[in-house]
Amino acid sequence: MTELLAKEAQDEKWGMVIDLDICSGCQACVTACSMENNIPFVGEDEMAYGRGMQWMRIRRYWEGEYPDVMPDHQPMLCQQCGSAPCEPVCPVFATLHSEVEKINLQVYNRCIGTRYCAINCPYQARTFNWFDYEIPAPMNSYLNPDVTVRRRGVMEKCTFCVQRIVKGRQQASAEGREMEDGDVTPACAQACPTDAITFGNLSDPESRVSKMVRSDRAYKELENLGTEPRVTYLKGGKSYGG
Amino acid sequence: MTEKISRRDFLKISGIGVTAATVITGCGPSSRYVTRQAYANMPEYNQTGVSTYYATTCKECPAGCGLIVRTQEGRAIKVEGNPEHPVNKGKVCSRGLTTVQGVYNPDRITGPQKRTRGSRTFTSLDWQAAINTVEEGLKNPQKTAFLLGLQSDHLYDLVQEISEKGGFGKPVRYGTLGTLDGRSTLLRATQELYGFDQIPFFDMANADVVFSFGAHFLETWLSPLAYSRGFRQLRKQPFGKRGYIVSFEARQSLSSANADEWIPIKPGSEGQVALAIGKIAATKAGGATPTLFADVNLNDVSQISGISMEKLLQLSELFGSDNKAIALPGGSALTTKNGLDAAKAILALNVLVENTSQPGGVFPTFGENHTSDFTAVKALIAKMNAGEIDTLFIHGSNPVFELPASAGFQAALKKVKTVISFCTFEDETVIESDYVFPDHAALESFGYQRVLLGSDREAYSSIQPVVAPIHDTKATGDVFLAAILASGGNLASVIPYTDEVDYLHKTITPLIEKEGSYSAGELPTFWSKWLQFGGWWKTAPELSFSEGVINLDQKLSLSPPQSAKEGETFHLVSFATQMGDGNGANRPWLQETPDPMTTVTWNSWIEIHPKTAEQLGIHDDDIVEVKSTNGDFSVEAIVYLYPAIRPDTVAIPFGQGHTALGRFAEGRGCNPAIVWSSEVNQAGDLALSDTTVTIKPTGKRRPLARQESKEGVYGGH
Amino acid sequence: MKSSIPLWQRSGFRIVGALVLLILLGGAVGGIYFTQIPPEQPIPFPHNFHIGVGAQCSYCHTGTSTGPSAGLPTTDKCWGCHQQIEPRNDNLKLVASYGSEGKQIPWVPVAIQPDFVVFSHQPHINAELTCETCHGDLTQMTVAEPQKGQNMGWCLDCHQKMSTPEEFVLLSDCATCHY
Repeated sequence: MTELLAKEAQDEKWGMVIDLDICSGCQACVTACSMENNIPFVGEDEMAYGRGMQWMRIRRYWEGEYPDVMPDHQPMLCQQCGSAPCEPVCPVFATLHSEVEKINLQVYNRCIGTRYCAINCPYQARTFNWFDYEIPAPMNSYLNPDVTVRRRGVMEKCTFCVQRIVKGRQQASAEGREMEDGDVTPACAQACPTDAITFGNLSDPESRVSKMVRSDRAYKELENLGTEPRVTYLKGGKSYGG
Repeated sequence: MTEKISRRDFLKISGIGVTAATVITGCGPSSRYVTRQAYANMPEYNQTGVSTYYATTCKECPAGCGLIVRTQEGRAIKVEGNPEHPVNKGKVCSRGLTTVQGVYNPDRITGPQKRTRGSRTFTSLDWQAAINTVEEGLKNPQKTAFLLGLQSDHLYDLVQEISEKGGFGKPVRYGTLGTLDGRSTLLRATQELYGFDQIPFFDMANADVVFSFGAHFLETWLSPLAYSRGFRQLRKQPFGKRGYIVSFEARQSLSSANADEWIPIKPGSEGQVALAIGKIAATKAGGATPTLFADVNLNDVSQISGISMEKLLQLSELFGSDNKAIALPGGSALTTKNGLDAAKAILALNVLVENTSQPGGVFPTFGENHTSDFTAVKALIAKMNAGEIDTLFIHGSNPVFELPASAGFQAALKKVKTVISFCTFEDETVIESDYVFPDHAALESFGYQRVLLGSDREAYSSIQPVVAPIHDTKATGDVFLAAILASGGNLASVIPYTDEVDYLHKTITPLIEKEGSYSAGELPTFWSKWLQFGGWWKTAPELSFSEGVINLDQKLSLSPPQSAKEGETFHLVSFATQMGDGNGANRPWLQETPDPMTTVTWNSWIEIHPKTAEQLGIHDDDIVEVKSTNGDFSVEAIVYLYPAIRPDTVAIPFGQGHTALGRFAEGRGCNPAIVWSSEVNQAGDLALSDTTVTIKPTGKRRPLARQESKEGVYGGH
Repeated sequence: MKSSIPLWQRSGFRIVGALVLLILLGGAVGGIYFTQIPPEQPIPFPHNFHIGVGAQCSYCHTGTSTGPSAGLPTTDKCWGCHQQIEPRNDNLKLVASYGSEGKQIPWVPVAIQPDFVVFSHQPHINAELTCETCHGDLTQMTVAEPQKGQNMGWCLDCHQKMSTPEEFVLLSDCATCHY
């Protein structure tokens, strides 16, 4: 039992591929992520101060001049860097690399809110709980019991839906089998209306993500910084020749 | 120096001490022990700490996507898509995802109320009194009217049956999502040109070239998730083939933003452009040019639409080539005075490239779509004004908010003796009502959705409660049936249903005989599968179209679109956002999810081209007064400088600007419906795209809460 | 007028400071004390008696081998046996009143984790741990009592003892319990 779990864990290296050619920028992933991960809504004023708590955001850049103007949409989330700039600056080891999932963890009960990690993150993928945001009753009824409700003064970010990874692993081991491609789907990939987000195990060369990472359209955001992101983008739209 | 600490203060301070201990240990007494209500009798399928999943149908828009809702300990936790469902195949949009925020919204109406019109004061009633009131209202069929929304179908079918058998007038069914799509126009054009009675299914997935005339296929058009999937499949065809999309509209929507080419044409000229493309393509193909296309003058089209001749030829070449092409008639093309003819011109393009009933072409959907056009709404308003309506039942629609101010609904409502709303929220219409008898929220109710515009097969989507109702609400179908049963008169003898579920049982019984994705011997088995799978549908797609000859030898009379006076008046484009028909505005996560194009949250805005703004001396975040040119109605909107809009056009999203509907919706942004023209086109649809407005700065400013970096777009502020 | 005595040397300040420290200390001690005593239950349930008459833990706490939560027994389950037992004392009368009216009994769970810890019984039971490893010897308790010193170090100690070094990689991963 435990052996199977442990073996499973050694083979894990989770990664995500986002195909920008079919990502429409519709924001369904953003809402799905927020509903899955108990992300508080902060209201208009706080949004205007740039304190929105979305773990995922769609970056929109205008390209060209009217009438040939078109936006590029790029979902941006924690890239779960293999060599993460946020990790070495945390004085209390609240953000650290997991040896199992090979992702970047944020341990809420350790975090003391120095925000060094957010400052050092080149992707601006981290959000900070400036306040205890109210979710008026009975609206708190929909909160996901698998995810901690964060309190004021704690940093948070995309977890690759680690609660679903743990569940998938436990499920597979309870059934006495190894995890298969597609056992774990984060909320964003599950909702994505155009199926632009694919999630899977990068250490399995036959998984869908591993195949997509080898595409000639693949690139990683700010790869030259040496962060070794686990999120790969596939070029799309006008940057994709056909 | 003296410091006295009273006993009271000391206690206060020790309180702080305990709190400090709480913080230090992280598990102090305040949070340590929580009482749990252990079940008195735990449902068999339930286990504490383990989620149960139920299939149901989304009620946020009429598309009818299948949902799987995760529940735990009797609470709805998360909405996920139903992977088996033919419309959305496991996917959900932002609106669907926030359904739980509608169910658990703190501003829901908690029980039946007798209200004072025009105010927020009410007295609570019990359901027996409510049913008596409804019974009273049903007594006089000639003086009773029903106004329903686009969802859900089972209630419309029931009310339709009651009206027919009880001698009531035909229920009016109206929703802004249908209006913005020009659905009545599309239906009429399909009937007249293709000869079938359903809104067509456009098989984008298998096409090579898509010409979209204002169709917001990724946003709110017909069936957003089905067409989003179509978009994906179009882009990801076998052997690396990638479909090409050209979009024609004055304001770049998200769908146009994902097209390969966006052609900003003058609003109202879509029909002529379609004719010109048809003419060039037909000429190129050789043979006789159909009469429909023959008369159009290409130079004129180029002039009025603003597309250069060269571009027009190039596009026509693309459309008429060997590729499988399809033309989509969307809302902004149809909601004009020329709408019906424009729709026919666009649909005729499909006939020209012979894609009707071909893969990658146009097919009829399943189930007739009974929606009312705006003419029916106008007729209802006229009757109300004439004092011919004593009782008005309103369900699923918010007419005070959704209808143009110039239609005069609010004034007409004052002439109705009894207005009964079934809304779950205190919306603008409830404020103007005498009674509100709240229906269950989306995840608490039974029902079905019959017309699935995004389905490639015959399908019925079932709605079942996934959680027990949290408030003292009652299904509207049950209220009507209870009232009819209580009246005991003639109506009770012709409406043979004891309650809503009984009605559903009897309605779906004929499906047992049909071959579907599952079979069942008798109703109880069928019913449990119907609930388990989230509906009933055929196993395989069965798009077919047995047509007669479609006659393109007819003439269309498309008048040139009216021009805006440069720098003075502007075309107004209105479009639906993730707030849907405005009901989404009370979902905090729909408010906080940024608009895909502008990244604005918690507010609405008016999109103005930067050049136009410069000419008018308007800056980002200025508040301007938007006034309709053919009426005295105006709204104030915050300026967003939008680079992807024609300089002679401005655009305001629909859905915000609520004066009621709860704490999350009220007092945000503006409602463009106020300035809409209430003229109708030949098909009876609201010609709202013909609205022109003037813009006047007010001198006020209010920054929009946007996610984008302000510096990144237009330079420093 | 400026005082010549520095603030920290004034007796008033020192007294106030000492008081604040005392209060904080008292509060902390009190806070910790409150976490270590069993909470008041609606019915002082005698675990020892029920185990004595042969009831298995999993008869009432059914969820351990299949899910995260052991679960609390429903009123129906209590009443299944207790309706055959004469309510000869106050506690049994309480049970009878809940049971005959079919009301929920507001139990207060004792062995609970803080909000930021995700715990699942299933893997622990599957690893063949016994209940008393974590919950103490219930044959000696009436109402369930919180176990002392069950902090993260205690969890990790056990995880380390029970596993090989390879398995401990997983069992010491932060995301095993915190997300």
